[in-house]
Amino acid sequence: MSALPASALALLLLWGTIVGLDLVSVPQGLLSRPLVSASVAGWLLGDFEAGLRVGALLELFALDVLPVGASRYPEFGPAAVGAAVLAAGLPTMEGTGLGALLGLAVALPAGWTLDWLRHANARHLHRLSAALNAGSSSAVRQLQWAGIGRDVARSAGVTALALALAILVRTQVDATAPLPALQTPVLIGVGMAAALSGALRTAGRGRRLAWLGVGLATGMVAALVVAA
Amino acid sequence: MKGRRRALLRLMAVQGAWSYERMIGVGMGYASEPLLEDLEAASPERHREATARSAEFFNCHPYLAGLALGAAARAEHDGAPGVQIQRLRTALCSPLGALGDQVFWAGLVPILMSLALAVIALGGGGKVLVAVVLAYNLFRVLVTRWALVTGLDSGMQVGTAISSSWLPGMAARIAAPAGFAAGLAVPLVGAWLLAPVAWRPVVESIVSAGAAFVLLRWGGARWTSPRVALAFAVVALLWTRVVP
Repeated sequence: MSALPASALALLLLWGTIVGLDLVSVPQGLLSRPLVSASVAGWLLGDFEAGLRVGALLELFALDVLPVGASRYPEFGPAAVGAAVLAAGLPTMEGTGLGALLGLAVALPAGWTLDWLRHANARHLHRLSAALNAGSSSAVRQLQWAGIGRDVARSAGVTALALALAILVRTQVDATAPLPALQTPVLIGVGMAAALSGALRTAGRGRRLAWLGVGLATGMVAALVVAA
Repeated sequence: MKGRRRALLRLMAVQGAWSYERMIGVGMGYASEPLLEDLEAASPERHREATARSAEFFNCHPYLAGLALGAAARAEHDGAPGVQIQRLRTALCSPLGALGDQVFWAGLVPILMSLALAVIALGGGGKVLVAVVLAYNLFRVLVTRWALVTGLDSGMQVGTAISSSWLPGMAARIAAPAGFAAGLAVPLVGAWLLAPVAWRPVVESIVSAGAAFVLLRWGGARWTSPRVALAFAVVALLWTRVVP
């Protein structure tokens, strides 16, 4: 893989930071969905198709996540940016699998950094609790902006990690011959199971479960028709 | 009441200082600030109390936070007792959280992302992504604005306004299309990613899907989908060493 120019790296870092910020802080507008973040990253690299494919695979895993309240979950957005960097320019099947593998490996520790962020915000809050309880507007503003600032730093850090790993793996991949292709169908299978498992969890029982079954049957028929 | 536009803008970042201590409380205080400015000139003491109350513990779905924010700000301007305003905020946490999670996180987001996946798998290309992101964000802004305006107009009666609004009906009806969309997308995306279809990758994929599904459904909380995927990938890698 030819080295990424500094301008491309800077753009990817910026995009990954925006994506990380979108997940919780601002604006929560679907930018952090892996399908979106990886596709844009692929487009920035000039290989939209690779980003789209690896993003679609990671999106299946993201559909299993219900980000409610204080729940802990993997963070796919910045990880998907690294996944697209790894997948871009590689053979379709192998690139998608390798990229998704990196995305999944980064998404787990990225989720832990959200926990760190929440504790860091709480520590800051403790320090300003007297002013906050006294009704100080400046304490509220300070906490809000510091929280967003911390999330910017966190998102940039996670994106930098994903990019560094992607570039490192790409240099190794270039130096060796055929890529292991078996893992791609395996990951696709697990992704499909993850999306279905998530849908089953929210569908519950009765009519809603029946609609999931109808959708699945329709999708299978459509997939067979397209394949034929 | 002044400051509606600034409050709306700040509501977009209501989770900016999320902590286990007060959850979105600080973000609520920050978004309330423009709405409470009027009180400062009239009664600095009341303003300080209102600011402190606005940043207390609060949690709900971020898109619907405006309902509680607007209602509390209206009540502060109307001179409602502080204890009543605190009770109102506490009472709104659970319903606004549950309604928002059902409508957005378990409803609209899976529907849109699943439909986008299905369209892409059928050869629709990436343009669908732009359309989905734009449509979703337009709806998100409209909902946030509706929530703030409804809260401001209703004050302490916001509970009645919520129960007679579109929210409960949508929360009850959206799970069925979400299930349909997810069911539709999964086989289509699988076939698209595996194309051109050959028997061996399809079999590998189906076997992996079956084993993963069993682990995810009945394997306990430890078996999250990324962990299952990483474990299976390691097994697959070892398998390729044994069976070339």
